[in-house]
Amino acid sequence: MKFNICAAKPEDCKDIARMIMELAVYEKMPDQVKISYKELEKDGFGPNPFYQCLVAEVPEEHKSKDGHTKVGYALFFYTYSTWKGRTVYMEDLYVMPEYRGKGMGKALMATVAKVAKEQHCVRLQFSVLDWNKPSLDFYLSKGAEDLTAKEGWHFLRFHGIALDNLAQEAP
Amino acid sequence: MANFILRKAEPKDVSDILRLIKELAKFEEMEDQVILTEKDLLEDGFGDHPFYHCIVAEVPKQEQSVDGHVIIGFAMYYFTYDPWIGKLLYLEDFYVMKEFRGFGIGSEILKKLSQTAVRTRCSSMHFIVAEWNKSSIEFYKRRGASDLSLEEGWRLFKIDKQNLLKMTDEE
Repeated sequence: MKFNICAAKPEDCKDIARMIMELAVYEKMPDQVKISYKELEKDGFGPNPFYQCLVAEVPEEHKSKDGHTKVGYALFFYTYSTWKGRTVYMEDLYVMPEYRGKGMGKALMATVAKVAKEQHCVRLQFSVLDWNKPSLDFYLSKGAEDLTAKEGWHFLRFHGIALDNLAQEAP
Repeated sequence: MANFILRKAEPKDVSDILRLIKELAKFEEMEDQVILTEKDLLEDGFGDHPFYHCIVAEVPKQEQSVDGHVIIGFAMYYFTYDPWIGKLLYLEDFYVMKEFRGFGIGSEILKKLSQTAVRTRCSSMHFIVAEWNKSSIEFYKRRGASDLSLEEGWRLFKIDKQNLLKMTDEE
């Protein structure tokens, strides 16, 4: 099946928001999605973009049963490792179920890798849920290493009230 | 003691920042993995497109460290993006020299970072900690942090330069 990978445009945000929700449903956490396409537009296409996004598009004759031609995306941003320097963090990688197995996931990720190379980044990082076997297998086949297993890294966060409390903590 | 100030890092601080990065890496038993140089830190933090932000803790000359340093702590952070909740502050490195611990410097740095997160309308502050680093995990949990690796099963992955290049060649 023919498809195109290109940089997302502001008008793609509705499709990206739709697919973000589909991925959240797959990850069993749909109630955690709090932002809409409006925030995505503001945060990704303003004077100071907080993320970059690629979209996978199919021609009109291959549109989805719901009528969509934007069928996959990769959302990423630049981070920094105090050991190695510039890094790319791939926050989301998603292809709609009916379009899987056609090389789109691979192409999206390879394009992210191309951008990383152009920006002299030394590493691509991302996270995967421990039960997500299809994704784990896909990434391991591309040479990914599980740093949580290998080096014991855990993700922590201060969120919502915990963050507010910390900001107000007396010295 | 406990006479200190927190301020934004300046280009002249890169030598101290690298020293502290290496001290922290040594504590994490990965000192040989630091390949970053002062030149990288200068270009990447103080150029046209900063990849990171940094605050440093400074003591007066009369309270300098045993080795004669006045920059005795630092925190490096940058902004990332969660497609579910928007902007995040990501804490990459956070370190206070051993001889200056227990005086509230770490707490004050964390408070300043959380104030920055709230002021820039970030929903959350994220970071990673090695699971064997019990004292740091306790420090963060006491202040309201949650462990997403334990609670939700997230695992951190990386793909290094060699495999990234392989991916771009394949396309």
